[in-house]
Amino acid sequence: MTKNGIRSHDLGPSRRAFLASTGGGFGALALSHMLGLEALGGQVAPRADWPRGGLHHPARATRVVQLFMSGAASQCDTFDYKPALIQKNGQKFDPGGKVELFQSEPGAVMRSPWRFRQYGECGRWISDLVPHLATCVDEIAFLPAMVSRSNVHGPATFMQATGFVLPGYPSVGAWVSYGLGSLNNELPTFVALPDSRGFAPNGPANWGAGFLPAAHQGTMVRPGAKSPIFDLFPPDEARLTAKAQADGLDLLNHMNRDYSLGREDDSRLAARIASYELAAKLQLSAPEVLDLSSESAAVKRLYGLDQPITEDFGRNCLIARRLLERGVRFVQVWSGADNGFPRRNWDSHEDIARDHGEMGARMDRPAAALIKDLKSRGLLDDTIVIWTTEFGRMPCSQGSRGRDHNPFTFTSWLAGGGIKGGVTHGESDEWSYKAARNVTTCYDLHATVLHLLGVDHTRLTYRHNGIDRRLTDVHGEVIKAIMA
Amino acid sequence: MRTRLLVLMGATALGVARLALGGEADTERLFRDQVAPVLEARCLHCHNDDTAKGKLSLSRREAAERGGEEGPAIVKGKPEESSLLDKISGDRPEMPRGEKPLSKTEVAAIRSWIAGGAIWPSNRILTDRRFAGEDWWAFRALTPTTVPIPRRSGWARTPIDSFILAKLEERKLEPSPEADRRVLIRRLSFDLLGLPPSPAEIDAFVGDANPLAYEHLVDRLLASPHYGERWGRHWLDVVHYGDTHGYDKDKRRDHAWPYRDYVVNAWNEDLSYDQFIREQLAGDVLWPGSARGIIATGFIAAGPWDFVGNVELREGTVDKNKTRLLDRDDMVSSTMGTFTSLTVHCARCHDHKFDPIPQVEYYRLQAVFAGVDRGDRERPSPEIEARRRALEARRDQSLGRLARLNKAASASTTPELARVDLALAGLRARRREFPAATGPIVSRTNGYHSAIHPDPDHTAWVELDLGAAYPIDEIRLVPARPTDFADTPGFGFPPRYRVEVSEEPGMTRAAKVAEESRPDPPLLGDDPRVIRPGGRPGRYVRVTATRLWNRLDDDILALAEIEVISGGVNRARGARVSALDSIEAGRWGRESVVDGHDSRRPRPDEGDLGARAFHELLFRIQELEIVRSELVERHLGPSHRREREVAQAELDGALAELKALPLGEPVYGVRPIAPRPINVLRRGDVEQPGQPVGPGALSCVMGSKSRFPDSADEGRRRADLADWIASPENVLTWRSIANRIWHYHFGRGLVDTPNDFGRNGGQPSHPELLDWLAAQVRDHGGSLKSLHRVIVTSAVYRQRSSGDPVKGAIDGDNRLLWRQNRRRLDAESLRDGVLATSGTLNRLMGGPGYELFSFKDDHSPVYDHADPAHVDYPRARRRSVYRFVVRGVPNPFMEALDCADPNLNTPVRSQTLTALQALALYNDLFVARLAQEFARRLEQCPGNDRERVVAAFRATLGREPTPAEAAALAAYAARHGLANACRLLWNTNEFNFID
Repeated sequence: MTKNGIRSHDLGPSRRAFLASTGGGFGALALSHMLGLEALGGQVAPRADWPRGGLHHPARATRVVQLFMSGAASQCDTFDYKPALIQKNGQKFDPGGKVELFQSEPGAVMRSPWRFRQYGECGRWISDLVPHLATCVDEIAFLPAMVSRSNVHGPATFMQATGFVLPGYPSVGAWVSYGLGSLNNELPTFVALPDSRGFAPNGPANWGAGFLPAAHQGTMVRPGAKSPIFDLFPPDEARLTAKAQADGLDLLNHMNRDYSLGREDDSRLAARIASYELAAKLQLSAPEVLDLSSESAAVKRLYGLDQPITEDFGRNCLIARRLLERGVRFVQVWSGADNGFPRRNWDSHEDIARDHGEMGARMDRPAAALIKDLKSRGLLDDTIVIWTTEFGRMPCSQGSRGRDHNPFTFTSWLAGGGIKGGVTHGESDEWSYKAARNVTTCYDLHATVLHLLGVDHTRLTYRHNGIDRRLTDVHGEVIKAIMA
Repeated sequence: MRTRLLVLMGATALGVARLALGGEADTERLFRDQVAPVLEARCLHCHNDDTAKGKLSLSRREAAERGGEEGPAIVKGKPEESSLLDKISGDRPEMPRGEKPLSKTEVAAIRSWIAGGAIWPSNRILTDRRFAGEDWWAFRALTPTTVPIPRRSGWARTPIDSFILAKLEERKLEPSPEADRRVLIRRLSFDLLGLPPSPAEIDAFVGDANPLAYEHLVDRLLASPHYGERWGRHWLDVVHYGDTHGYDKDKRRDHAWPYRDYVVNAWNEDLSYDQFIREQLAGDVLWPGSARGIIATGFIAAGPWDFVGNVELREGTVDKNKTRLLDRDDMVSSTMGTFTSLTVHCARCHDHKFDPIPQVEYYRLQAVFAGVDRGDRERPSPEIEARRRALEARRDQSLGRLARLNKAASASTTPELARVDLALAGLRARRREFPAATGPIVSRTNGYHSAIHPDPDHTAWVELDLGAAYPIDEIRLVPARPTDFADTPGFGFPPRYRVEVSEEPGMTRAAKVAEESRPDPPLLGDDPRVIRPGGRPGRYVRVTATRLWNRLDDDILALAEIEVISGGVNRARGARVSALDSIEAGRWGRESVVDGHDSRRPRPDEGDLGARAFHELLFRIQELEIVRSELVERHLGPSHRREREVAQAELDGALAELKALPLGEPVYGVRPIAPRPINVLRRGDVEQPGQPVGPGALSCVMGSKSRFPDSADEGRRRADLADWIASPENVLTWRSIANRIWHYHFGRGLVDTPNDFGRNGGQPSHPELLDWLAAQVRDHGGSLKSLHRVIVTSAVYRQRSSGDPVKGAIDGDNRLLWRQNRRRLDAESLRDGVLATSGTLNRLMGGPGYELFSFKDDHSPVYDHADPAHVDYPRARRRSVYRFVVRGVPNPFMEALDCADPNLNTPVRSQTLTALQALALYNDLFVARLAQEFARRLEQCPGNDRERVVAAFRATLGREPTPAEAAALAAYAARHGLANACRLLWNTNEFNFID
């Protein structure tokens, strides 16, 4: 892959003609157009000697699901156990140096309202806020020394979602789509499932393609909504009969083929014809994937579909599994909506027990179910599960019961394809206030995920505005310590 | 030859080289020819006065001899003690770090030169010439071009054609024949207006027998107001315009649209391009009080803006500084990308890796925008503007008259005045003998600063309580010289004030010990005002400004220090300070007016004889100036006096009326503030500030000076940058716009990276043509319509777009333009085309954007594009350029069709063909509704189904259907409805592509 070989806007007919001659004829070419694969010069087909594919080296995993806790999930109330907070509860918070918070002046040290216990063979301490995830600790590699470059939700969310604090950069899923292409030909490559109550900060830009071709953007799927995928079907007032639809597509194809006469050199015309065929396939496959009636009662119970509190996130996690199963490469599932009141995300400035209590209960059981379900189906081996948030929360109190933002340390974790379970890499200080040892960033996490997918993060580039852009900017170290 | 020989000898044996050196002249020549070029090419990049890595600068001799952290770089005659040589030689030379080592010859030359005494003329200052050897096309002067003469005659219509044809002939390629008129009018119409031609327009053009029919069509289209909507939209892509802030809490930006309308109008007016640049960067400064000037600055404010970071984050925090850094970065990169096609933002963390843009110059550009916040600002109505202009003329007239009167008065001479002037001249000469304070800035405070007031007549005072009454010999008021504001002599010192002392609190029974009320008081500069109350006892000392100091758009009182001397002791030190109001933040605070420091350094000790003499001298000068003023006043004739009163009254009247003028409607643009200090940031990190920098532009661009005065007036900085960019000498500017225009006419620029002319971007396919086009714009009044005309009337533009296997084998991606490029309709053209062909387009121009979403305001607002009530409604059937553009939640229909992402500068739109696009065009409620509307209109016309289908064909595809096509579509319409047939037409490739 040459440096300039991946600039899609450079593609002229000659390049397309080249692809046509090597890519197995018109149909394959048109398909690659649509899946946005053309840019990579047809290198996307999994190599025969690499069973799981890969771009630069054999992949360990082929799919990713990213669970995003929007609003900043507290590390010291979930996965980062600090006895000091219990011992010094209520005392002055004095970690040395100036403590600069987002909204408030630092309050007293505040212990977690949840009790911590040890779980699994690894013996990791996990709080009672996430008892179901606690039973999965031996699958999980924890990163409790994550740091963020911003303590503002918008930029920090961008950072975890795209690697940059500014808007306009491609989401991790878009990079994966650009680098590896699709595993199926009837569903999108990258799907985003927002919280049913609304968008997280930055909205759909969190799954945007940025400067990459728009084909790589996340397709938003809203299972509860009337139209789960935008314009999947015509509106009621212009509903087409199956016959009208079939006749229409037939006539359209006919006219388009006539127009192609004498214009055969322009492969875009064929690609547009094919896009209508793919759209028709999507109209069949999307309702199927969203229809949970074929799932067993046990599975539904596992995801918590039988409980009002877990139903929403549970449905999205189950759909995520169905998408992954059908060859969607990257699924982003959001826990947490906008920053409104009453709180509907993890931003618990006022009352950690009340607001984290609810968010934790909504998320814990479905997230654990996803890991267990993927495992029981043999999918966890080559599916990476990422659990992340934009930053952490302070070990001291805000007001008397809340916690302010903490960009200095927070916890993310990974599980599944190529990840070593039951390990922890990195450590925060005695307060869970600052990352202390083996500090990690989103660059490292993204580099590791790409690495497991068979992609060298320093070599997956796209020229934009004079810079060969990377998901990991100029940073990123693959975290070998958590790889199996 | 001789030098070369010396070098070779130096390489072998030091002693020999030394012997061989003929003397100083030879060493100097060696420096000039061999050493200096190597240092400039390989070392100065990091070791210059600005960057000085390892604290070492090799810019000048003294600096090199002084050396850096590792000792002297050069020790005359002693190569072995010179750290420079140590670093660059050996098996693995340490320097230049991360680059290939110097050649043996180069190292030997440096060794010989040091051994020979390191002669370095003191006037020779070295600069970074890393890129000097390379001659990059974008920075070259525009080549005065002779239009080539191609072999084939009769084809070329314009000089453009000759350039293109000459290249084609080099490759043995033939141009394509001219497209037929139906194709040409559709191409031109979408290209210039973004709208399809109506069937009547097509017929008229096809049937026009006039040999200039095409040229007339071009003129008609260029004169259409829809032209500005089309090309204004291109510009809005480039400048990343949006109607919300973006980021978290994507708040509405309800008053951004006047800028969008300004852009549309500017293109329609054919505003000269240099004027377009000046208005957008500094319209508010260059045409003060004009609504247009304020609105145009919407350019600077057009991009995304982090509401939480800018508004909600607390002042003084690290994240606040980060937010501001990135906010200015957006302004810098958008400005330079848009106008000069350079990627300066690559130099935020380090010197640009590919282009000759040092990091320090990037921060100079940040300093240009250091006094810019974004927000709503008032724009006057035309009536208010006219009134303001009239009042300003009256104000300036009376000011001029007052100045003349004052000048005449002070110029009047009497023997008495002459004696005073002589004495003053002597004193001032002595004053100049006192050196200005130097040395590092150690004061941690600036001094006292009142609240900021909107007018100068607001009262402000600051008062000291000395703790006990003392007989006061002297009071000194030391002007502030803040370090976080551009250095401005007399900062905050009020032009009129009084000083009172009292023995009782609250200034009861106070005695006025000084009053400044002269109409035209002499300026103090940074000198303290020295007052001698003659031993009058007092415990309280109050300084009251009776007229505030004007700081840009507002008025303040500030003082660095107040000293109250009694019996040789400064009793003000540590006094209790009170004030009517005070800014207590950063380096300002009322306590710091008695902390023994001025804004920069400690005040001299009272025992310091020099200081005592200095203050004595200041006192005598200031007293004598008062005497002089009084004398002048006394000699004034009654008529002069009367005239002055009249002029003063007129001035006061005009000022009062100006102040009372209504401000007008809000518009989103720049909000000028006092420039914030800008430092070079190591690795772009706000926590690692380096040297402070003033405003400037890029030194790699020839033409006007790239360093601007360090003006406290932020507007001046922007005006300087506008001048620098709009200069005829700035080759980047003119190449950039010529290339952009070409890009939109052919789907690809002569340089295919319109925002990057640097080494990482593309190279021009036809450099001479690009220069010819750039010169056309520059030398013909900056008219872009003229450029369009010469491009679209060319034979190159009029070619067919059909392919050719033989030619395709030679130049597959048509870089040489042997045919026109077939283009897909962009999102706006498609939507507008659907509206226009269905006959429902509302051609109303301008005003607030229509909203294709339902809106719910909240902590984070909600924009719901799925709400059917907002997808299509009568007011929304306007051109897409008037759509309210939400940054965070893009309109899914337009997004699917690759509209520009307003979070990014978009010089080139990406083009994709996806299933989601097919779904949007086939299923979207907007398309379905418009199809119904289209069918309803067709059905109102007389005729049968077949005739209606033919009419639909003509409207959408601009041609008659074949009998088979008409029959098939009519059959479909009969079975599934005319509306669905119309929908199909919009989905055809023929509608979606322009041949």
